[in-house]
This record gives sequence, C-alpha cells and structure tokens, in this order.
Amino acid sequence: MNAHDSHSPADSNTGPEPFVGQSVRRTEDLRLLTGQGMFTDDAVVVDPVYCAILRSPHAHARIVSVDTSRAQAMPEVVLAISGAEAAEHWTQIPAGMDLMDMKLPKVYAIATDKVHYEGEPVAAVVAETRYAAEDALAAIDVEYEPLPAVASVEDALGVHPFDAPDGPWSPKAVLYEEWGHNIQCDWAFEIGDPDAVFASAPHVVSCRPAAHRYSGVPMETRAVVAEYDAGRETLKMRVSTQLPHQSRTLIAQILGLSEPNVQVLADDVGGGFGNKTQVDAEVIPALMAKLSGRAVKWFEPRGDWLSSGPASRDYAHHVEGAFDNDGTLLAIREHLVGDEGCDGATRSAGLGALLVGGTYSAGPYHVRSYKARVQAVVTNKAPYGAYRGYGKETANLAIERLMDTAAAKLGIDPVAIRQHNLVREFPYEMAAGPIIESGSFSQLLDMVTEAMDLPALRLRQEQARAEGRHVGIGVISFLEPSAGSIPMSVFNGYETASVRIMPDGKAMVLSGLQGIGQGVETSLAQITADRLGLHPGDVRIVYGDTKAVPYGLGAYASRGATYGMSAVYEAAGEVRRKLLKAAAGMLEVDPEDLELGRGEVWVAGVPTTRLSVQEVARAVYLSPGPYATLPGEESPTLEANHVWTNPNVSWVPDEHGRVRLYPTHGSGAQGVVVEVDVETGEIQIEKMWIAHDCGKVVNPAIVHGQIIGSTVQGLGGTMFEQLSYDDQGKLLTKTLNDYQLPNIMSVPPIEVLHMETPSPITPLGTKGVGEGGCIGTPAVLLSAVEDALREFGVTVERTPLDPMRVRALVRNAPQTAPVAG
Amino acid sequence: MAESKTTITVSVNGTEHTCQVAPRTLLVDLIRDDLRLTGTHIGCEEGICGACTVTVDGELVKSCLFLAVQADGKDVTTVEGLTPKCGTSRLQESFRGNFALQCGFCTSGMVVAADALLRENPDPSEQEIKEHLVGNLCRCTGYLSIIDAVRAAANQEVTS
Repeated sequence: MNAHDSHSPADSNTGPEPFVGQSVRRTEDLRLLTGQGMFTDDAVVVDPVYCAILRSPHAHARIVSVDTSRAQAMPEVVLAISGAEAAEHWTQIPAGMDLMDMKLPKVYAIATDKVHYEGEPVAAVVAETRYAAEDALAAIDVEYEPLPAVASVEDALGVHPFDAPDGPWSPKAVLYEEWGHNIQCDWAFEIGDPDAVFASAPHVVSCRPAAHRYSGVPMETRAVVAEYDAGRETLKMRVSTQLPHQSRTLIAQILGLSEPNVQVLADDVGGGFGNKTQVDAEVIPALMAKLSGRAVKWFEPRGDWLSSGPASRDYAHHVEGAFDNDGTLLAIREHLVGDEGCDGATRSAGLGALLVGGTYSAGPYHVRSYKARVQAVVTNKAPYGAYRGYGKETANLAIERLMDTAAAKLGIDPVAIRQHNLVREFPYEMAAGPIIESGSFSQLLDMVTEAMDLPALRLRQEQARAEGRHVGIGVISFLEPSAGSIPMSVFNGYETASVRIMPDGKAMVLSGLQGIGQGVETSLAQITADRLGLHPGDVRIVYGDTKAVPYGLGAYASRGATYGMSAVYEAAGEVRRKLLKAAAGMLEVDPEDLELGRGEVWVAGVPTTRLSVQEVARAVYLSPGPYATLPGEESPTLEANHVWTNPNVSWVPDEHGRVRLYPTHGSGAQGVVVEVDVETGEIQIEKMWIAHDCGKVVNPAIVHGQIIGSTVQGLGGTMFEQLSYDDQGKLLTKTLNDYQLPNIMSVPPIEVLHMETPSPITPLGTKGVGEGGCIGTPAVLLSAVEDALREFGVTVERTPLDPMRVRALVRNAPQTAPVAG
Repeated sequence: MAESKTTITVSVNGTEHTCQVAPRTLLVDLIRDDLRLTGTHIGCEEGICGACTVTVDGELVKSCLFLAVQADGKDVTTVEGLTPKCGTSRLQESFRGNFALQCGFCTSGMVVAADALLRENPDPSEQEIKEHLVGNLCRCTGYLSIIDAVRAAANQEVTS
C-alpha cells in the first residue's frame, strides 16, 4: 500500500494534486504508536477516588434491602450508595429514542426496587484505591427476592410469534408490570398488496434465518473520569463515548445540572462499533463525584462489560418470497423477532436496529410488494445496544438466505438469480421507502465472481466432493445504508462544522464528529486542505470537547463521510470564498482569476503575483484588518460555520407510513470458499473476497482498513463470539476466554476490490463506510457452509457456525452422504 | 486500615524507581498509576487481550497478570521505552505506513510484542508472526495490516 504524507512537488502553473483520494498517513498514529494517546482512564486528575459498581447476581429479582453501612465503615471507602439513596439525587434514565409507540422502561442507573438482568447495578462505591473500592463491594449486603427469569422469547411470550403473531401471550413473568406484557415495540408496514401477489405467485419460498447474541466488544471498556466543582456547579467529564454532546445532554438532565455547566471530553476512544452510544452506567461515577466532592475515576472491568454492556443481534426471521418462474422476485413478507434483553431504547439503543432490519429486507434487489412485521421482545438479559451493522446485517441475512433458498428450489444458479433481481437504475425508491441514490450492484457482483474465478472453483469443488471433502462456495450481495438519521432520538440527522484559518495561515476545524478509530482527524484534514489550499499537516481537527465544538452528533451509523465531511466541506468552502475575496482585494484582481494551493494564492497564469495564505490571513485579522480586507462582508473573518442536513431524509410518514432514515447507500458483494470437516464440525475459511463501493473515497488505506476490520468482526460474530445465557438468564461467557474474539490466527486471506460510484447527494460524492463486512459476512458464510453440506440436504440458517452446530446439522441431516474418510 | 506495603526497586525504560507497593498491586497499575506511563493499557485483566503487554528482563509479560513485587530488581520496558527520543522506531513507522492501527488501544501491547519478536527473530515468516502475536487482540484492523507492518519492518522496507 502506498502512503503519502508529504506534498507532492507540482508545477506551480498547474493546480496541485488533491489530497482527497490519497492514502495520507494518519495524524492520529504518532501519539497512539508511542503510548501518548489520551484514552479516558489515561487522564491524570488531582487526588482521585475510584469507583466500583455492585451488580446483581440475579437475572430477575425484587430488591428487598440494600445495606451499605459495612462498606461505608471500611477505612479507605469514601462513599457507598444504594439505588434508593442515589434516586434522591438524580432522575430516571431518559430514553435515547422514543418513536413508533415504543414502550420505555422507567429505570434508574442504579436499580431501586427490581433488577432486570444479571449485571444490573444495585450499589456503588468510591474509595481511595481501585482495590479498596472493589473490596468494599463484598461488604454491601443486598437482599433479593428472586423472580422467574425470562430467558428467551418463548419465556417472554409463552408462544413464539412465528406460530401466533398476535398471541395470546402467556409470559413466564413480566419485566415491567406497567406494560402488562413483554413487547417493547410491535411495528408493521405493507405496500403493494403483497398477500395478493403471494396468492397468485408461481413459487413461494420461505426460510427462518437467525443470529445469536454477540456484540462489538471494544478493547477499551466504558470509562469515565468525573470532576465536580461545587462552587461553580460545573461537571467536567471524560467519557469513552461516541456521542459527547448527547452524553452531555443526558447526563445534565439526569443530574439536574444546567447543560452549559457540563463539559464532556472524549479524546481517544478505544473502539466503539456502536457500543458506546448510550448513557447508562456512565452517570454513576458522575453522581459519585458530585456527592463525594472528589474526582472520580471508573473503568469498567471486562467481566462487567460482558454482563452489562450493550448486546446485539439475537434475532430470528420468518421471511417469505414470492417468485416468478424466471426467478423474478415479486413480493416479500418479512417477520422479524428480536430478543432485546431488558431494553433497547432507554439504557441503550438497539431497538432501532430491528426496525432497520424490517425496513431493508429487500436488500439491493428490486421488489414492489413488501410487508414487514417487527416485534422487539424484552427478556432478563443485558440491554440491547447498537453494534456495527445495526439491522443492515439482519436484513441482509434474510434476503440473501431467501435468494439461496429460491435458487435451490427454482433450479437457478444462485449468482444468476441475484443478478436477475439486482436494482440497476438509480435513484431507486425502495418499496419500504428509502431512496438508493446511486450504485453499481451488478458490476460489484461481477467483480467478485470474476476475482474468485467461479467456474474454476466449482470444478475444484466437484473434485473435492469426489474425494469425500466438503468444499462450499458462497456469493452474496449487500446493501450498506449509511448516515442513519432517526427522528425522536439522539441519533438525529445533521452535523456541524466550524472552519477557520488562523492569523498564521493554518486552519482549525471544529467538528461534531467523534474519533473512535476511523481516522477522522486525517480525512477531515485532507478535505479541508484541498478546500483551503493547505497541507493536511497545517489543519488541526478538534472534536470530542463539548466546550469547544458546536452541538454535533458524533460517530454512529457510518455518518462521518456523509454528514461530517459534507459539513466541513461546506464550511471550508465559505472560508475559501472569503480568503479569495480578501486576496483578490490585496492583489487588485478578480477573485475568479485566483488559484489556491500549497499554502499560497496566485493569479492564474501569473505565478509571480502571489501571496501566502498566511499573509492574507494576517491581513484579514490584524494588519490592516477586516475593514480593509473584507469590506461589506457580513462576517468578515476567515471563519465559517455550517450545519449539514440531507433532503433524502424524511421523517414525516407518507401515506403508507414510510420514513426515510438513511440518505446514502454503499454496497458490495462478497464471496467465500470454505471447507467443512463433517467429522469434527470445523470450518476452514480458505479465502474471502469483497467488492465494495462507498462512493468517492477520501483515504483509500483508511477505507481498506474499515472493510477488512468489519469483515473480521462479521466473521468473529458468525463463527466464534457468543454472549451465551442459561435458561435462568445467567451469563455463561463472562470472560474474554469464554467470549471468543477473533485473533490473528482466525483471519483468512481477504481480497478487497474497490469501486467508486459517487453519491449525487453529498458534495464530494462520498457515502458512509465501515459496516459492510459486518453486513455481508454472516450471510456469505452461512451460504458457503450450506453449499458445502449440500449433499446432506441441510438448511443452514442460524449462527453461530461453531463445530457443535455444524456437527448437529450433519448428524440430523435428512440425507446421509458419504463421510470423508 | 491501609494495606501494608513493600519497597521494591524496579528499572522501567532504563530509569530506576524505588516504589512502595501493596503486595497485590499489579505491575500494570504500578506502571500506569504510580509511574504515569499510560501507554500500557488494561483491556481485560485476564491475560487474554494483551493490551498491557510489556517486557520484564526482555521476556514478554502481560502486566495485568504480573505482580509489581515480582518485578523487584528487574528491567521493565513499555511502549514508551521502545520510542526513540525523537520520532518513532522503524517498527512504529511501519505500523503507521501500513495503517496497522485504528483506535490504537491495543497498539502499545502489539508494538511491544512485535518488537520482542523481531529482536529474537529478525526475519519472521507470516506464520511465525501470527504465532507470536496470537495473544494480542485487536478489534479494529482485522490483523492483516499488522502482519504486513511487522513483515515490512523486518524487511526494513518501510513504505514511505
């Protein structure tokens, strides 16, 4: 890979090569490689105390009493507090989203009367050392009255909704008595008379793809450093978060503080992947700082993260497709049921993923009749959060398994049936509402199958079968909607930027985005540098400080390349206009005759008539000043603010009840070759291919890294990672030894093929990137394993693809095949 | 009553420190909290993730599974100790050139572990790199760029 970090020398008579499109080395890396990053717990504060949280050992129980007196009496303990005591000082957790008639639990960050999952906070301590704080937890006496644990959708409803979508329900227990049942959200939508299409369709196929529970598991757990100044009534918090501004809003609300008095800082964040998009336990150390008068440090022990951090996936589809004889997809009926754990809207934000799953189940394929029902069910497990994919992988699993099922039933080649149905004309309004603004779906699928050399692979597969080996090939397409914008939620649809050239000619950009590893400091600097004729090294990107940056929305839903970059591009464009206007005045020429680059502005064709950006900036700000350099200008300094929104977002339901929450749509295709050992159930992934299109690419190496990284996360989730619970709602996977993250040995060769179909709705043509591998990988692996086991006649619909499941598939196969010997 | 403390002398990145530590203090807490070398991170406290990887007398150690008192009289090297006074090491530069980090939380441990590999095996194969780094988890990169970075550093072919 070629990396550039210096300005390429260019003839001064031609414009310099733009930085956008180059693999500029990352600004972030120098500090991170040398141990000088500033992750939350790295912050030094004066005289800190350390916070530890006592968590419920029961999945479902009433709290009879909490006695913190023994802990409080321990020598190094500064403060020990129960949920009931804390409730006198804060409000219940405000919901992160509230739409579609969803039900919202009324809960505090430390439980008061009842616990809803194993791991829910019941008390907290601050002490002089982390060791003393953790010791003190053992001295807190809690009396529980255990309740029946709702450990599955069947427990929650008494019947599976696939068998009885409208009940009647007979729950084993109800989590929130005031609801009367365990369904947080039940959303239905249809268009194009799908039932009639199904009734007359030549072929109806159905399948029930499902995924188990897993999550993002960032290497840095949640962390807070909180300092409260009682004299000023101000709270300064470092938080490992993807949403500094919304965190400030929610934390201020919970603690009853004036929002301008709260500062949230997030410098380096050790991974997010959607998992750091809520305020839950983070508010506990903040309260402890307020009550104790001491600076409080807290980082979440890994076991606590696994028991109480946001979980994801854990859904099941019943999806049906109506097909014509030639393989044309005529209609989809989709029923999606998610096991949310205790909550997907207040304590964390996973509920929206199920709604996205129900909206996008047509994937990149053309269909006009569509019906979806989504039921989000609560159980006694940890909250349901956002995780890379956020329902797009849910949708992909449904449509791609449906395509394979239809291909097999209709006797059509699985690649051919996809090619036949892919959307080819853009912009394309999906039946469910979203507008796919541009794409090259068919070409991406061609790119993958050509790179794979599919005919040769099929030949090799036949030879392997003759030898008793089980080689499988999977090929799928995927749609990667990006820049999600959810009304009535903290995940809204705008981004802010403030761009300014300082008097020394260097630029400062304040962005509402948040860095969590995506390289925003680098890519935003590339864009700004091109706009302002500077070197990226002369552009300082500031984010993650609510005291410095205008209210912005942070990092989620692959929104950086849509919202964040566009806001910076537009703000920088306004600064460029003023810069050229001032320079034109100084050079006594027309602004349109000027060119800008390499830190200088010059008259086109007259390279000797030039000024440095620094000279212009100094003139505008100080000598002589704006009256002389930008006369008549309304805002006569080299600064501009922009809030970027998108017309393809529509929050007002149309006559069918449809909304449009994603303005840009990346896409891709994936292929994989696996070999299954039917004796041991082990799956060897020989190679993966991924063709990817996220519109205009700003930094190819960063994009490449996002694709590989998301693919390996998708692989890990599908093959290894499990948040596994027993039938009493007790977590079985409490350490990273049990929760198997992929390691360096897990990764097969991955060939990435890039293409760029610009988005017509962003100024640079960019679309979001970062989730594609998580979206397509589960489906392509299931497809390949089913292909490998074809002679057994098994349907491979569920993850995880661990050896136990593979063995069970083979053991229970309807057909027996010759076993490899 | 505070815990009784033991006096230890430990050399960290070439500087000798005499510290008072409780017997159960983990080496990683001594490094981060007492010596304020916060490049070494805590990701799991179970010895699985490798974010806290350092060397003790040249041997790779997960400092969340190592007591501070065990380091008495020994030489500890952290990522800060592998960083030249000016700029970066060849290995660090190779990580940068190969985009072998994203969020950077695992990176310190990864660099320490890879540096130890190159010390004992200046020209490791891909398989040897994988075997050596299997105890260092990275959630962002998918590892392939890390393998490239270590190989490039070994070949002294740092991309520029």
